[in-house]
Amino acid sequence: MTSRPSVGFVARQLRHIARIRHGLMAVASGMAVGVIASLMHTMGWLAAPESIWRVGAAAIVAASVFAWLRIRAIGATPLVAALWIEEQSPGAPDFSLVTWVEEGCPSEGALARAAHARLAATDVMAAIRQLTYQQCASPLVFLIGALLLWWRAESASVSDAASTTPRAMPVVVEPADRKNVLHPWDIEVVPPSYAMRRAERLGDASSVRALAGSRLVVSGAAPSGDTLPLTATVRAIRSDSGQAVALPVDRDGDRWLVRTTVQGIPLAMVFANDTVRRQLVIEGVADTVPRVTLQAPIRDSVFRTANGTVPLAAAITDDIGLANALFEVVITSGEGERFTVRTVAVGTQRWSMPALTRRATVRASLDLATLGLQPGDVLHVRAMARDHHPDRDRDLGRSETRAFRIARPSEYDSVAVEPAPPPAVDTSLISQRMLLLLTQKLDRRQRAMPRPEVIRESQRLARDQARLRLAVGDVVFQRLSGESSAEHAHSAGDGHDHGVELQGGKLTLKSEGAGLLDEGNDAPVIAINQPLLEAYNAMWDAGRALEQGDPHAAIPPMQRALEAIERSRAASRLYLRGRPPQVIVDIAKVRLTGRDTGSTASRSARGALPAPAAARDRRLMTWLTGSLAPAAFRDSLALLRIEALGDAPAFASALGSAIDALAAGRDLTPSLVRARRALGVVQGVVPSQWTRGVPRQ
Amino acid sequence: MSGDARGVSIAEPFVFATAQYESGDWDSAPLVPANVIDSIARYTNLPVRPQGVIVPLASDAALQYPLLYLTGHLPVRFTAAERQVLTRYLDRGGLLFVDDHNHDVDGAFHKTIREEIRRVAGPLVPLANTHELYRCFFTFENGPPTTSHEMNGWGDNLVHEQLDAIVRAGRIRVLYSNKDYSSEWSFHPDNKRFLSVDNTKFAVNLVVYALTR
Repeated sequence: MTSRPSVGFVARQLRHIARIRHGLMAVASGMAVGVIASLMHTMGWLAAPESIWRVGAAAIVAASVFAWLRIRAIGATPLVAALWIEEQSPGAPDFSLVTWVEEGCPSEGALARAAHARLAATDVMAAIRQLTYQQCASPLVFLIGALLLWWRAESASVSDAASTTPRAMPVVVEPADRKNVLHPWDIEVVPPSYAMRRAERLGDASSVRALAGSRLVVSGAAPSGDTLPLTATVRAIRSDSGQAVALPVDRDGDRWLVRTTVQGIPLAMVFANDTVRRQLVIEGVADTVPRVTLQAPIRDSVFRTANGTVPLAAAITDDIGLANALFEVVITSGEGERFTVRTVAVGTQRWSMPALTRRATVRASLDLATLGLQPGDVLHVRAMARDHHPDRDRDLGRSETRAFRIARPSEYDSVAVEPAPPPAVDTSLISQRMLLLLTQKLDRRQRAMPRPEVIRESQRLARDQARLRLAVGDVVFQRLSGESSAEHAHSAGDGHDHGVELQGGKLTLKSEGAGLLDEGNDAPVIAINQPLLEAYNAMWDAGRALEQGDPHAAIPPMQRALEAIERSRAASRLYLRGRPPQVIVDIAKVRLTGRDTGSTASRSARGALPAPAAARDRRLMTWLTGSLAPAAFRDSLALLRIEALGDAPAFASALGSAIDALAAGRDLTPSLVRARRALGVVQGVVPSQWTRGVPRQ
Repeated sequence: MSGDARGVSIAEPFVFATAQYESGDWDSAPLVPANVIDSIARYTNLPVRPQGVIVPLASDAALQYPLLYLTGHLPVRFTAAERQVLTRYLDRGGLLFVDDHNHDVDGAFHKTIREEIRRVAGPLVPLANTHELYRCFFTFENGPPTTSHEMNGWGDNLVHEQLDAIVRAGRIRVLYSNKDYSSEWSFHPDNKRFLSVDNTKFAVNLVVYALTR
């Protein structure tokens, strides 16, 4: 073995060891993150993360740690390997091998001989094995520990999930001495076929939540012998006077079986033999009809004529699956006491059975012209949907109804006056802004155009400018005198007195009362005409320049005219009104309370609870203060929850939380406080600066 | 609230205050206060003063009122004193309700008052239509109720879907409307009986929000 390959071999081995150590540390770090997430979930600090997220987070952390360690690692070069070999060799290092590698490994000479001797004197392989053990042992221990914790946390998480599915009770863990024909049992729920759901095995549960119509099979280990020492009854929980119905107990080999069908009401099955009695609470969930929301049209309306198309849209949801949906249009015709009604279905849509559709949006369009509508007819539009429930007499899901009426011609002659829209602008006139833009464009192009064409274009703009100037003049004169023309032979001393004089084509305000407008006995209104006069005169200048074929010279007066028109628009926004009435609201009259006595409403004690709520509260308090066994307390809470599902959902929800807390070994106090508050219809106070509410504890 | 000589707590009545500013036409909707007061009396048990007040925005008196109503058509330029009082008013928890009487997105009032509000309290941002303002008394599922002026094509010919607001610490400080409630609510309250649906209900939400949040 030559020295050069040996040193390289050692360097490679050192690099391999570093990689293995870093890999182990990275994997162990990732596992630690997963374990921490599981522990946080167990402590209730974190919602249950999906396993894939936990694994993903662990993988990301592992990759990050590995990358960080690799970046920080010092590469094992041949020089480093030589130094490490020198350290491992017996006796004090003489650095001959390091020097030999550093010198470039000459093959001859005293240095080469000393280096070879040094290498030969060292047991390199033993040192590498020892280094491998040192570097990898601690990360390996860390990794094994993390693996064990992960496995333990995942097991706990799985058992927790299993115990809370489906809703309600966890699996009952009974003492060994209570093992008998009822402990444990096995529950299987087979949903109705139209629900397209798989059968579920729930194990030894005390409470079952299942779709109404499901088949429920409870089975357990049967003792040998011909007879089964077991009875089973079922009764509705909410019906106090309801009789318990006995159920047959069958034998299937070495197991007993009791079958029943889940109904839409809560049921309690009681199993008993000579020594033990056990209860199973069945919470039947009824299949609800589809919920239909009409999205379009959004409001009722009146159509002037019976033509056009009305888009229809509805959003539909169902808990199991939709079967079909349509828009129903009911058309009512006639008046007085003679009416005819006909129904039209529009946009029918069906969904096939193999694929359940729980959410859909149906769209259609209603062509009014095809319905043969007459004035006065009324259309009622709604959406309807049905699910796959086999009972065809069952209620449909229906949306709210929109009504459309076709107006009668006569009704527009009544006092139903439509507000007038804002007056239409005289669109035949080119605006001053547009004229300015066209002139600027012509100015830019005129050098490239033949002069006659420039003059022709410019004079065309001049004509438009003159028309606009006349329109402005009309506004000025209508405001001042009611006349519609600005240029009807005004001259100094002609007997007309409009407050303006025409001088050289331009208008000037007369010095006295210039531009003031009197309105009766009120104070004169400020001159609103000055900006318009400015605009008028600037337009005159612009028009003259354009007539002479000089668009460049026309631009400044056109800009002045535009600015003046804008000023006039702002100044014209005057709101003239008289003195507003002083309204003092008669509060007592508005409130129908007569004269105010100055007294305010006083606080009073809350009334007594209604009898059913008080009875539930008494039961709850009896259980809380009594010495019930945990299993009995849990069953009692479950029964009470099922009872309250229909008429006190908030109370039932709080009891459900209490049951969950009991199963998880958490404090029940917040849930029970919430339950009692729900019973008493106590509203929490939201603290704020203005209400001075008591902050919530 | 304050206590009288017998130690009995008597609620101070709510007073509807219209902000008077130096520039523009602050008094362009003179019947709005009476109409809002009428609605508060009609729908709530809040003690309310039967007549509104006009309070100069440059005066410290403005600080006494939890809700200030400001409207107008014309350009608005606050004086330094008005800005200073308004800043203190908003910092103390007051609510300024500004309504553009022009119903314009590009009008003089719109542009100038938004500029002034930005200088005093920061930029206005659209207020979500699910905000509790629309549920604190009456429920307005679709956000601010549409006004007849919007529906009839006046102003900018737009139906504004949202109001704008400045919200701090979860509470509205400034509420800005382009919907022209000033025109919608400016009628004598006795004429409310002719309406099939009272269009001033949103004003009740505004007052209740200002008093309770």
